[in-house]
Amino acid sequence: MKTQNKNITYDALVIGAGIAGGEAALNLANTGFKVLLVEKDDSVGGKMILLSKVFPTLDCSACITTPKFSEIARHPNITLFTGSQVSNIKKHGENNFTATIHKKPRYVHVEDCTACQKCEQVCPVNVKDQYQYNLVGRKAAYIPFSICSPKAAVIDIDNCTLCGACERACPTNCIDFTMEEEVYDLQVKTIVLSTGFKLFDPLKMPRYGYGVYKNVVTSMQMERLIAPTRPFNNVLRPGDGKMPDKIAYVLCTGSRDVTVGNPICSQICCMYSIKQAQLLMGALPMADVTIYYLNIRSFGKGFEEFYEQAKGMGVNFVKGKIGKITEKENGSLILRYEDINSGKLKEAEHDLVVLSVGALPNNEAKGLFADNLQLDRFNFVDQVELMTSPAKTNIDGVFVAGTASAPMDIPDTILSAGSASSEAISYLMKENAPQPPKSGVKVGQFSGC
Amino acid sequence: MEKRIGVYICHCGGNISDYVDVEKVRQSVENDDNIVLAKTTMFACSDANQNEMVEDIKNHKLDAVIVASCSPKLHLVTFRNVTERGDLNKYTYVHANIREQASWAHADNFPAATDKTIQLVKAAIAKSRTTKALEPTKIKAERSVAVIGAGVTGMKAAITLAEKDTHVFLIEKESQVGGWVAKWKDLFMTEETGDMIVKQLHEDLKKRQNVSILLNSEVIGNVGSIGNISLKIKQKEEEFDITVGSVLVATGFEPYKPKEDEFGFGKVPNVITLPEFKQLIDHEKGKLMYNGKKVENIAYIYCVGSRQPEGGNTYCSRYCCTATIHAAIEARKKFKDIQNYHFTRGVRSYGKQELLYAESLQGGDIFLQSYEDDLPTVFARNNRPVVRINDILTGGKELEVEADLVVLVTGMAPRSNDTVGSLFKLPRGRDRFFNEVHMKLRPVETVIDGITIAGACQGPKTILESVNSALAAATKSYSNISKGVLETDPQIATIDVKACTGCGDCIPECPFDAISMVEDKGKTVAVINNTLCKGCGMCTPVCPTDAIDLVAFSNVQIMGMIDALV
Repeated sequence: MKTQNKNITYDALVIGAGIAGGEAALNLANTGFKVLLVEKDDSVGGKMILLSKVFPTLDCSACITTPKFSEIARHPNITLFTGSQVSNIKKHGENNFTATIHKKPRYVHVEDCTACQKCEQVCPVNVKDQYQYNLVGRKAAYIPFSICSPKAAVIDIDNCTLCGACERACPTNCIDFTMEEEVYDLQVKTIVLSTGFKLFDPLKMPRYGYGVYKNVVTSMQMERLIAPTRPFNNVLRPGDGKMPDKIAYVLCTGSRDVTVGNPICSQICCMYSIKQAQLLMGALPMADVTIYYLNIRSFGKGFEEFYEQAKGMGVNFVKGKIGKITEKENGSLILRYEDINSGKLKEAEHDLVVLSVGALPNNEAKGLFADNLQLDRFNFVDQVELMTSPAKTNIDGVFVAGTASAPMDIPDTILSAGSASSEAISYLMKENAPQPPKSGVKVGQFSGC
Repeated sequence: MEKRIGVYICHCGGNISDYVDVEKVRQSVENDDNIVLAKTTMFACSDANQNEMVEDIKNHKLDAVIVASCSPKLHLVTFRNVTERGDLNKYTYVHANIREQASWAHADNFPAATDKTIQLVKAAIAKSRTTKALEPTKIKAERSVAVIGAGVTGMKAAITLAEKDTHVFLIEKESQVGGWVAKWKDLFMTEETGDMIVKQLHEDLKKRQNVSILLNSEVIGNVGSIGNISLKIKQKEEEFDITVGSVLVATGFEPYKPKEDEFGFGKVPNVITLPEFKQLIDHEKGKLMYNGKKVENIAYIYCVGSRQPEGGNTYCSRYCCTATIHAAIEARKKFKDIQNYHFTRGVRSYGKQELLYAESLQGGDIFLQSYEDDLPTVFARNNRPVVRINDILTGGKELEVEADLVVLVTGMAPRSNDTVGSLFKLPRGRDRFFNEVHMKLRPVETVIDGITIAGACQGPKTILESVNSALAAATKSYSNISKGVLETDPQIATIDVKACTGCGDCIPECPFDAISMVEDKGKTVAVINNTLCKGCGMCTPVCPTDAIDLVAFSNVQIMGMIDALV
């Protein structure tokens, strides 16, 4: 039985708490508006918080995301819902939207959890760890990842055997299997859509052997292998735990490829691959890293210099498209490719292959709306005034931030979030609309949890 | 009472701990005087550690904390806020930069990096012992913004600020608004033309009562600081002052001008630049003519003035691949018998722009690619330009194209006129474009408080990207002034009136004109204007009687730090 719906009211709803949503929420909140930030995952941070270091400055990703999300968690004008799904968004007039929010039970009282991990230790269930991109396992009672926020355990109820071991082990009695889904009826004046992107699934390209050959990994798995919060504290190939010495990158996996239905360039893969190559040269000084590419697209500020730096460090760049990958008995891989420089078909052996997977639209954005949210021909959220108001969607008052509208890197995402929040603030301040609260004065009604 | 200091030494997820033995650093300071606790932490800036610090401050009754981590540019404010949440005065916080100054700088010498870190932390402890509680200076913020440059970026920034109930002075040195875009017709990724976009933005601006468009105007003077900046404007022969709370700089770019004989420019006939070619195809009708002759074969040479080897413009200009492909498609559609030859260095039609590249290939455009160390050459044969290339895409074959027109795909270069940059003391990057504080944390702010940057003055950008940055910068400028009152750092210079002899040596040293002479009890002494002073410290060393001291960087503190370092 569900609890009765609760009514809540905010100035702005921000959907998706990755870096775009986080930035947009902070901009709105710092201008005095009350923001509800909703994330469907159990932690904020999106994909960025899971990255190792970020190009072209090589700042550690956590050093940029965690303070932002710490500020969000404490901000008096921001309410954060994790593990929550938005649906049924309807516009009734200017500055008048309604939506429903389903907050799924975490089975842990976050405010009491100290993240001591005792529940993890006693939980008998082992499943793949989605935050480590299946490189290692986790328990059914678990802390999502070491720098997650809120930092609290969560019970994966689909895999839980209801043995009760975690409940008995918990020193603060914060585990509660009687928690139920909460449903909120939300009223807001404006919406920022920051639902992010999906990674291309390389299972759709069987010729690269992903999922069959153990030493073919995705770039996101490599991000985890070299991140400070990495699973093995070293770069090891999954097949046999050996430290790789000859690593290959296959660019444009799932991008610029009509055969997999994605003709566009993902904009980020060249640069993150070059970044990973540089980090690997540091982590494995003896290793060779080869990047197989069609065109290197290092177009942003400082990117070309970063590419030149990688060449200077000894990263091999080979212009050529990989046709097929086959596995040898020892787990190493043979890459067959057209070497464009010589015009010949060639083969090369590597002991670890990284597929630089592309960025695809998050198809879930449209389904959040009862109204018709317009998409572009690739299923990204359509930017109806692309040149003069890039954040505007076909619904006035709904603005798009970050990769929900197109692939983009982190600097562009942050500018796009600045753009969306600027439009949302203007929309909130339009004539006849309620004026923003004066600073220091708390307004906006919040009833619930 | 003895100070009770807590020290946190950050691993920075390996950025520090891969090179510095952080545990050794911790041990070497934990027994120092005044140190109540010394800890290491994986990420000092993480929420979990911030909360732990707040708890520690309360549980251990700390009255000062030090974090040894990254540059204070990144997280000084973060940790000041933590201190405040622990009910301490935030100016008692001391930051030690052991990443940029030790682990990264000495990545080749681990023991030395560790030793230096220990000294840096000890210096920070020495400073912490003498820090005092301070109160921020509160100033009234003018609810107005000056936007410098009325290209698309500046116009859009002005509109969005005006929507936010802010008075905007839109300052343009030319006689018209619109910048480069006003001169363009067809644009990529949109059906709109450049002049249409500018017209639409201009109409919007004209309707707004809180926007003053100042044409033929230049900023020639700048006094004051965030919240209250007085600008001297020169409009034709007239000069006047305006007062604003924040300044948004959107001075744009200049198209790269090829050097004499760079790919035949100025020497071989019929070699023009991309902006010239855009003008040509936008305005010609029927037949594409150049110098009285019909144009059929067009050769485009990419990356002119971009991606140059060391010493030149090493950066990629980002917009030009797609702009050229688009212009070539337009030329082919508009005029008969056009054959396009693209001499590229690898096509960078990123994102959705990829479709234009595909369209261009399907339409029969020919793409060639040169080797990085063997760029194409342009020479004249029978008074006609010829382009020669060793082409990667055909396995290194030497190919020649006899063209009717050679288009040099010139990139974006920073403005050569540096009036605005030097007036506001804006830092520039290696690429000579204006530099933001941090590409991801503070991408539209400069190190000068209250001065934001947007558009192509910061680096090459497309229209869409410029508009995004305009809106982002406008939001920052707005948030600077929207509360009406601003807090600024109290870390400024002070004058000991008793010691001051009124010699005036400090006055010419101050870059912010913050020092003046007044009569005080029958004696002439220097006085500091608290809102103008930025605490840079230029005045202190010249004072013959040591009458000037910097709050929070006092002579006593600096000497204490030096003693700890040596």
